[in-house]
Amino acid sequence: MHGFLSYLNAHFHALRLEFWGLFIGGIGSGIIYAMVAIGYTMVYGVLRLINFAHSEIFMTGAFAGYFTLNYLIGSSSPTGFSSILLIIVGILAGGITGSFFAVVLERVAYRPLRIRKAPKIAYLISAIGASYFLLNLAAKEFGRIGRGIAQPYQNHTVFTIFGAPVEMYNIIIFVAAGIMLIIVDRLVSKTKLGRSIRSVAQDSETASLMGVDIDRTIAMTFVIGGFLGGAAGFLYALNVGVLYSMGFTPALKAFTAAVLGGIGNLRGAVIGGLILGVTESFTVVFFSGAYTDVVAFAILVLVLMFRPTGILGELIGRSA
Amino acid sequence: MKIRLNKSVAALATGALLLVGVPVAGLATASSAAAKPVYVIGYEGPLTGSGAQYGQNELGGLNLAINNANATGMLPFTLQVKSYDSQGDPTLSPAQAQAEVANTNLVAVVGDAFSGATHAGEPYWYSAHVAAITPSATAVTIATGKNNFFRMVYGDDIQGTTDANFLVKTKGAKTVTVISDGSFYGAGIAGVVSVAAKTAGATVTNDALPQTSSCSGGVASVSEFAAEATKIKASNPAAVFYGGYACDFANLLPALKSAGYKGTVMSGDGSYDAVLLKTTTPKSAAKGAYLSAANCGSTGNLTGTLAKQYKKLTGIEPAAALYDAQAYDAGNILVAALQKVSLTGGVPAIRAAIITYLHAGSWTGVTGKIQFQANGNLVGTGKGNIAIYKVTGTKLPTAHTCY
Amino acid sequence: MNLPFIKKFSTKALIILISSELAAVVTGPPGNGDTPWVGFHDSITQKASFFGLFVTGRWALFYAIGIISYLAVHFFKKLNSNNSAMDSLRSQYSSVAKNKYFKLAAVLVIGVLAILLPTVITDPFWREAMVSQIAVFVLLALGLNVVVGFAGLLDLGFVAFYAVGAYATAWCTGALPMPPIFGSHVNPFFAIPIAIILAMVAGVILGIPTLRLRGDYLAIVTLGFGEIITLFANNLTGITGGAQGTKQVPHFSLHIGPLKYIWGLDPVPYYYLVIGFVILFIFIFYSLEHSRVGRAWTAIREDEVAAESLGINPLKYKVMAFAIGAASAGFAGVMTAAQSNFLTPATFTLALSINILVLVIFGGMGSIFGVVFGAIVIQTITMYLIHTPPAGYQPPDLYIYIGALLVIMMIFRPGGLFPARRRQRADVATSSLENSNG
Repeated sequence: MHGFLSYLNAHFHALRLEFWGLFIGGIGSGIIYAMVAIGYTMVYGVLRLINFAHSEIFMTGAFAGYFTLNYLIGSSSPTGFSSILLIIVGILAGGITGSFFAVVLERVAYRPLRIRKAPKIAYLISAIGASYFLLNLAAKEFGRIGRGIAQPYQNHTVFTIFGAPVEMYNIIIFVAAGIMLIIVDRLVSKTKLGRSIRSVAQDSETASLMGVDIDRTIAMTFVIGGFLGGAAGFLYALNVGVLYSMGFTPALKAFTAAVLGGIGNLRGAVIGGLILGVTESFTVVFFSGAYTDVVAFAILVLVLMFRPTGILGELIGRSA
Repeated sequence: MKIRLNKSVAALATGALLLVGVPVAGLATASSAAAKPVYVIGYEGPLTGSGAQYGQNELGGLNLAINNANATGMLPFTLQVKSYDSQGDPTLSPAQAQAEVANTNLVAVVGDAFSGATHAGEPYWYSAHVAAITPSATAVTIATGKNNFFRMVYGDDIQGTTDANFLVKTKGAKTVTVISDGSFYGAGIAGVVSVAAKTAGATVTNDALPQTSSCSGGVASVSEFAAEATKIKASNPAAVFYGGYACDFANLLPALKSAGYKGTVMSGDGSYDAVLLKTTTPKSAAKGAYLSAANCGSTGNLTGTLAKQYKKLTGIEPAAALYDAQAYDAGNILVAALQKVSLTGGVPAIRAAIITYLHAGSWTGVTGKIQFQANGNLVGTGKGNIAIYKVTGTKLPTAHTCY
Repeated sequence: MNLPFIKKFSTKALIILISSELAAVVTGPPGNGDTPWVGFHDSITQKASFFGLFVTGRWALFYAIGIISYLAVHFFKKLNSNNSAMDSLRSQYSSVAKNKYFKLAAVLVIGVLAILLPTVITDPFWREAMVSQIAVFVLLALGLNVVVGFAGLLDLGFVAFYAVGAYATAWCTGALPMPPIFGSHVNPFFAIPIAIILAMVAGVILGIPTLRLRGDYLAIVTLGFGEIITLFANNLTGITGGAQGTKQVPHFSLHIGPLKYIWGLDPVPYYYLVIGFVILFIFIFYSLEHSRVGRAWTAIREDEVAAESLGINPLKYKVMAFAIGAASAGFAGVMTAAQSNFLTPATFTLALSINILVLVIFGGMGSIFGVVFGAIVIQTITMYLIHTPPAGYQPPDLYIYIGALLVIMMIFRPGGLFPARRRQRADVATSSLENSNG
């Protein structure tokens, strides 16, 4: 008993000391999860489909950013305005590549099934197949060892919150992801495209009777989700480099986040992502890095048992 | 009914389109008629699956040794390498081990790369008196005393103990946090370091941080490294030892730096890999970290002409390839063995003679001096054989001190 | 000139071009991470020989193969739709195949062949692979088929039950740090019931909270469960031996009176043991499929709400499916543990779960014959590629082909090679509906 108390005490002590450090780290990974989760959630909204291959969209985006930046930067070390420009270029490279592969994926692996009105399990299996294909093709073409990305900026501590350092990297992903998330939220809730996405999500047959082009709307959903996924891949790679298998875990966590927040719900995905990221951080301190997945899935199962539609509830049409 | 059959034809044809490419893709294979007897050296290791990189590295090293030996034209026999893919999986290794020993031209095996698969294949090699030289399996438990087992690297016990003594005695660390990545290798060396550091008088905290998806095969999230670093900063041990591979050590180093941790950071030979400085961002975060590797006196990597040949043969950057040199040396030792032993008694006799020869001989290879003990471990207490490197620049360090 | 025709023609030509060149890249030489395009470039521009007839760039070669394949498919389609003789042949075949005695005879013939197989196959690699890589995977596929095929639940963490069975065996035989229940050095035969029961209990424990969830969520939760079991096996070193694996698990042995037999390194006795259990499990699962339980599973799979309104308790039957499917995986675990004598958590990966799923899908979800056939075919091809890789084939590329196979199967033949009968009916219904619409 005493051992347990001293264990708790020691860990609470660490927690008090480093609360803000852990919190900032958690938000940093959470916002990446959130960006990826939006891709899952939007596709789920319109197709009622878990896009299992989204992890590979993330990976292709990271590789596109990696190749682009390595080509542009070479051995120089950019600062100031050129840093910002390079990061924007990297995000665009990752995002556009992500969009491209997402659309190709939809055309090749999903649309034939949709036309045939295949059962849901067929979509999932097709998605797993596409994911395997892309993952291993990337391994074949780009090698099986990890590589660091050329740094477009100089990382340093910018300021501190209650003693916890906030680094340039944290600021970059926070600002970039924040802007993109706000744009997507506005896009879906205010524009004509957003209206058609929401209408397809609510009732695709009625939407098509109202003159919404279903195929085009679904393709646009993949474009938006793919852009965020690919850009998130690039932002993630800025910190940890690229490897063919890099997408699997962040995407799995992002999917968990999407379900946690209420799948099909954009803001739910963001909230789910942030909760998951912060939870992971604290789990490492409280238990061990070995058990973060256990805690994440325990939370997921508990949320689903007591609130099967997730924290904010489902449906892209209702709250986005 | 009709529709489905048509679709099956379509499916088959599409599949055929993919598969036809396989034989077509590799028609350009060379074949040479040789009157000399042909002996096969088996390579067993992970050529597919999550550990494939290790297998490909080692197979390349072995191929290089055998190709060069054949190219001299001096051998009274022709050597071939035949690879057996175990995927590093203990459940697949027995099948391959049995295939190897059944090969009537096979005289010895280099492999398996992984300790678990070596352990599972060992009974089959032993029952057929085939020498199995592993270039990279370091688990303490696999040297069971069977006479056909040899390894080209020191076991985890020697390296781990040296590392622990370095941290506690040389660097004077009274508190050490030992992190295991949960892999067969990482857990092994972390366990040894933990016990040895305790013995040396330090207070040890054990921790686990699973392999991430930045290392092929891992599934954990990289974000946990930041949290781990924050945790380490809070408890502030004098030293941190990471038992794991370079791909993840490259995540731990920047995280520790960001968290403001100032103590000594060290890792084993799994991290002594050019990948470390390819992946650590920024590279300066690796500065000051210590790495250890077995076989003092060499870089453990192929250099010069060999490096160029290796790159040409495999397409793999030799500086980034772990255990290529060990496999290269193993190949050369087997070539030396075949030149020494009597070749008249047929393959079973040659197999047994190779085992006897391996126990008696000693060689100098690119990884240093090689001589085996009765249980197949390298000779020596390892004293003076473990190199400790300090990362100073943006390239993998070669300057080292021997402990 | 007929413009729509040209447009249609050029679209087809373009699609064939893209897929052919993709095939060229997939089968071509690998690239590297320093120069992104080199792999693609080499794959397309390298010279290759067209079956020894002429030498040309790979891109042209693959385009030619693509066009030939397309034309062949087109030709067969035409042939099929115009050929009434083929139709009558096919209907004759299917009426024969439905004949009860024919079925019995077929089962007997296959059974005898299975028993005689080790006399035919003498290559030691294949003798070993037959047991540890094919028969064990048949067991795993049979188990997953109950969950995915019969009950329609997508389980992505099936490997968890396999791990439970294997570790339970190691536990009973004293190979774990955790002390065994009946003293050490127990024969793995005694571990069989314990392993199966523990795997089934794991199925129930996982099933009760998660099977209330909708299908989409189930996939992700089971995936998580599979990962968690491996995590525990990897990190609870004091219980499981951790990442370094277990101690020596003994072989099976029999001591009945004067009869004494020990299974050893020779795979053939293991083959007969595992084949016996495969037949047993096929029999059990076949009976279940045609029982009340099997019909309830079908009802839930096809329409859960309707099934519930008929008084079927979906949760009860879903949990049953999980537990029963887990049983054969648990037994597969016993086989693996006893035969390889050694376990590490690294065997029980997500990739393995997906591999088992591929076997089930390829053969035909819900069809016992299809699943067994699928497992044998896919595992044999995999083992063949591992054993004797054809020239120019890079072993790690296997998974590219597996991925492509999954997508192609789902597009062209979602029911698998041998679709289950109940599913067949459903498919016919939808396709005739589509035909009437179109």
